[in-house]
Amino acid sequence: MRIVSRILFFVLLCNLMATAQNKQLLYDFNEIPQSLMVNPGVKTSQKWHAGLPVLSGLAFQAATSGVTVNDLFANDGVDFTTKVRERLLDVMSDKDDFSSTSQIEGITVGFRGRNRPDTYYSFGMYGEMDIISYWPKDLAILAFEGNGGTNIGRSFDLGDLNLRGEMVNVFHFGINKKIDNSLTIGGRAKIYSSIFQFQSIRNSGSFVTRPGQNNVYESAISADMQLQTAGIRGFYDIAEEDTGTTQRDVTSLFTERVLFGGNLGLGLDFGFSYNLNPQTTITGSILDVGFISNTKDVWNYTLSGNTTTEGITVFLPDDIDDVNNDLWQELLDEIEEALPYGENDSGYISWRPVKVYGSVRYDFGEGGRSSVFDNCGCGVNVGGGSNRDYYRNSVGGQLFMIKRPKGIQAALTGFYQRRFGRVLSLKTTYTIDKYTFTNLGLGANLQLGPVNFYVLADNLLSYSNIADSHYASLQFGFNIISWNNN
Amino acid sequence: MLSAMKRLLYGVVLLVGFLCVPTSCTEEQDFSQIDDLSITPVLASGLFYLESDEATINSGSSGGPFYTREVIFEAFSQDYVAERLLEGTITYEMENTTSKPVRVLIEFLNAGGTVLDMEVLDISAEPSGLVTRDVFYGPGGKSLDILVNTERLRISALNLGDTSSTSPVDNPKIILRSGAEFLFELK
Repeated sequence: MRIVSRILFFVLLCNLMATAQNKQLLYDFNEIPQSLMVNPGVKTSQKWHAGLPVLSGLAFQAATSGVTVNDLFANDGVDFTTKVRERLLDVMSDKDDFSSTSQIEGITVGFRGRNRPDTYYSFGMYGEMDIISYWPKDLAILAFEGNGGTNIGRSFDLGDLNLRGEMVNVFHFGINKKIDNSLTIGGRAKIYSSIFQFQSIRNSGSFVTRPGQNNVYESAISADMQLQTAGIRGFYDIAEEDTGTTQRDVTSLFTERVLFGGNLGLGLDFGFSYNLNPQTTITGSILDVGFISNTKDVWNYTLSGNTTTEGITVFLPDDIDDVNNDLWQELLDEIEEALPYGENDSGYISWRPVKVYGSVRYDFGEGGRSSVFDNCGCGVNVGGGSNRDYYRNSVGGQLFMIKRPKGIQAALTGFYQRRFGRVLSLKTTYTIDKYTFTNLGLGANLQLGPVNFYVLADNLLSYSNIADSHYASLQFGFNIISWNNN
Repeated sequence: MLSAMKRLLYGVVLLVGFLCVPTSCTEEQDFSQIDDLSITPVLASGLFYLESDEATINSGSSGGPFYTREVIFEAFSQDYVAERLLEGTITYEMENTTSKPVRVLIEFLNAGGTVLDMEVLDISAEPSGLVTRDVFYGPGGKSLDILVNTERLRISALNLGDTSSTSPVDNPKIILRSGAEFLFELK
């Protein structure tokens, strides 16, 4: 358990950085069994596979579309406040985000049906943490510069507060079926066991201080804001109690939530691969079409209302007989009444971030059937010379889209894949998205007998100064794969 | 089994490190710089607005107050504010369309009722135009201690003219506006 807890700690540590969920290197890399997780309709050739528990799939991604660690913390002699102003406040927009995604596969198993060789079943369990926070530009400027000076008359958008995060444990079962030599389809059902979830994604309102109609200044605020949380309070209460059993209580609650003890949800994945001709294949998938029903351990905060104030006002003769001397407190009370802060425990639905992949691939460079291929036993998805084992090279393009709180984010990838027998396969990608235009990735899949190891790393150019990177991603894992009956 | 898993994990870390380390490096980072961050927003707000018609002014005695009010005012004395206040300006604006000159006294009182400071704002009879006064607090100006110790304001308005004349202007009135713009050190 210690090793597991250390890995979990590592996952949490990685999530302190931030961002995307694109797995362009893994997508359609069908030598790797985990490619089923990004396209349940990918072509499968193995008889069965089993991932090494906890080590079959580890993925960490961190990204920022704006400022980098190096921008702020480089030891360059520039005043830190100046750097924050010039590289953060003056540059980043409310569309920029910090995000972090990590996945750790607990169990993954796949097998071909004994009486249905065209059907490949897979199931397993993985944990996922996904956090995204858009840069709250106007709120940051309000905190840094204030509402006075040159900001008199400026309306600060309270809707800039936009963040979402969750940790879920996912139990899944998928079916991958070869319809004919051209078409393979697949689907996967998922049960989400939520550990925690929070979101503040539909905020609106504004705050402005301007020359008043009566007084020197008037301040007007209009707010409709909400932070929804589920599963947070349980952990918070344990931390607050500070009874000396905190670690044990947290572990117990965490384990309970992992195993269906918290809020639950359902989701579906679908995918396909279709050969347009023996050398050209198109694929597509849609993942995490699902939701979580948050009804347990819900703790929501609201701030809603609007008010305008010019300070203490006295109109004579109307107020001549008013002897109340607590006008300042009255003013504060009026503001609080007009802009009530509330808490509630109303349940809510949180939608999973839906992801869509699509690709077109062209295979070329006949490799013939070496002794390696002769032994592969991959007949079920081989036929008519259309299998990828027959070609050494693949080139193509991929599209990735994900539904985020402020809209759809897309990424476009070009790739080249080279196979060296069944032992080694390399895939290199070039991806453009909102985070970087210089994302070169490299993936390697190594097959030593039944032992499979893969490692996929993104944005390699940033490795010259990793702190200056807008995006970093690493996936790796071990599997045992069998193509034969032994 | 555990030791085997541990060896396997170390093997993975070693292999990943082997693949990444030869090409990866990073410039020197100094995360302690965050201690040097200075956040000093300028906050602005309306403070006090007084408006009186001419009939109310005439209801008092000549040279005497037609309005006096003492109000609790702890905007600057609360610990969170007092500890972070750096400097700032209180702006007063007066307009008078009545037929007599008016004086407004604003006294800053501490918790014991002692007058810490006073602003005397005089304005002539109509046409007075707009009279503005900016009072700076902080280095080179009045002491911030006045504000951070102020818990009450006493506002008095005195009629410096007669009690019978009326202005030819429609709806004559005396208006006092005030607002504050202060620099705070949040960090």
